Amino acid sequence: MTDRETRYGTWVAILAVVSFVAVVAIAVGEFTGQRLVGGAAVGVVLLAYSFILLFLRKGGFTGV
Amino acid sequence: MYSRALTRLLDWTLRLDVAINRVYPEDFNPLYYTGGLSNLFLTVLVLSGIFLFLYYIPSFNDAYISVQFITNQVPYGQIVRGVHRYAADGFMIAVLLHFFRNWFTDRFQFSRDEPWISGMMLLLFTGFLGVTGYVLVWDERSQLLVAMTGRTLGAVPWIGGYLQSQWLGSAGVSNLLLPRMLYLHVGLAVLLYILLWWHYVRIRHPKVWPPAVWTLFSLGLIFLLTGLVPAASQPPARPDAVPSSLAVDWLFLLPYVALKVLSPLVLLALAVVITVYGLYIPYQLPETPAALGIRDSGIAQVIDANCTGCELCYYDCPYNAIVMVPSPHPGVTKAAQARKLYAIVLESRCVECGICVGACPFEALELPRLLESDVQQKVVQACRS
Repeated sequence: MTDRETRYGTWVAILAVVSFVAVVAIAVGEFTGQRLVGGAAVGVVLLAYSFILLFLRKGGFTGV
Repeated sequence: MYSRALTRLLDWTLRLDVAINRVYPEDFNPLYYTGGLSNLFLTVLVLSGIFLFLYYIPSFNDAYISVQFITNQVPYGQIVRGVHRYAADGFMIAVLLHFFRNWFTDRFQFSRDEPWISGMMLLLFTGFLGVTGYVLVWDERSQLLVAMTGRTLGAVPWIGGYLQSQWLGSAGVSNLLLPRMLYLHVGLAVLLYILLWWHYVRIRHPKVWPPAVWTLFSLGLIFLLTGLVPAASQPPARPDAVPSSLAVDWLFLLPYVALKVLSPLVLLALAVVITVYGLYIPYQLPETPAALGIRDSGIAQVIDANCTGCELCYYDCPYNAIVMVPSPHPGVTKAAQARKLYAIVLESRCVECGICVGACPFEALELPRLLESDVQQKVVQACRS
């Protein structure tokens, strides 16, 4: 793997963990009735996915 | 002077593009998708607005209560309300970015005056939609907005009283006000789509949606803000007293802040001047090729013998200036003999840009005063020198 792939790959892995934590937060928010927490966590998941897509591209894993 | 300022702004805009392209891949540059982002936010607004509409009651006694009911009792109501509120902010920001970018990059010239005019109307209606949305909540801010708007309309010479009573629904604030606001809010939202059709109709391949990265980012930001800073109402409106201070939303309510320093009549005059100037922008600069100091290539001509009806020019023309019609007779060249379609250039739409000439692999299009062979000769000469 090149340096670039390693760097962006690491970020993708970190964001994947962040989004997993946010998904857990959505479930917790739902079960405890704190839907604003769930709403914010949905936002975190979507933001994390957007950066994952960006880093996959910048790392050369997808696209041109 | 205006031209010089515009050139400088174009330079800054392009520098900003280059700076962003260093961070993002070029096809992810958000400034290339300000129109698409506006469309995304508008879609979110419509979907969340339909949800809110189902629970909203447009009457003085029940409007505020119904909004509180949506916020506190309806499952996910607070989230949907927040999404509606922040998507409105996003929509306004994207529309303003779109407006300034297209202004600074001269994208109102030639056949683009129609997208510009419809875009100006979209911008105006967007601002008005924001105000009617704030009124619908019927809290202290709504009450103040209604009073300030009424006072401003009342300042119009001769017809001020009539406009004021039309805005309020009667001589004073009456129960007709909120149904009227709801109608204006929803009706204008529908009108936005009609204007959008007009906005797109003369643009070939408009980017109506942002790339996935920015769709996810925008939606994510809306949800995150909804969770962290929930949308909330001011205290309920009180019929016996109009509040004296305004909780300002700088994106939508800026004109109301201006009322602190300007008289209603001056504010109205200023709004009219800005609007008329905005509509005049496409016609401010000289438009003829000679006046612009660029080549006068002539309207693109289709060479009947070579046209194969492949439609490449039709798809590439950004001005919708080429239409395909059933071919009246076969072409002359081998490739053109089996054609079923034939390209026709609409003179009123052609801006002599030459894009169709580049798009055609069969040498079936030419600019009469700038032939391809002449261009090739010039390129060769330039390379030699």
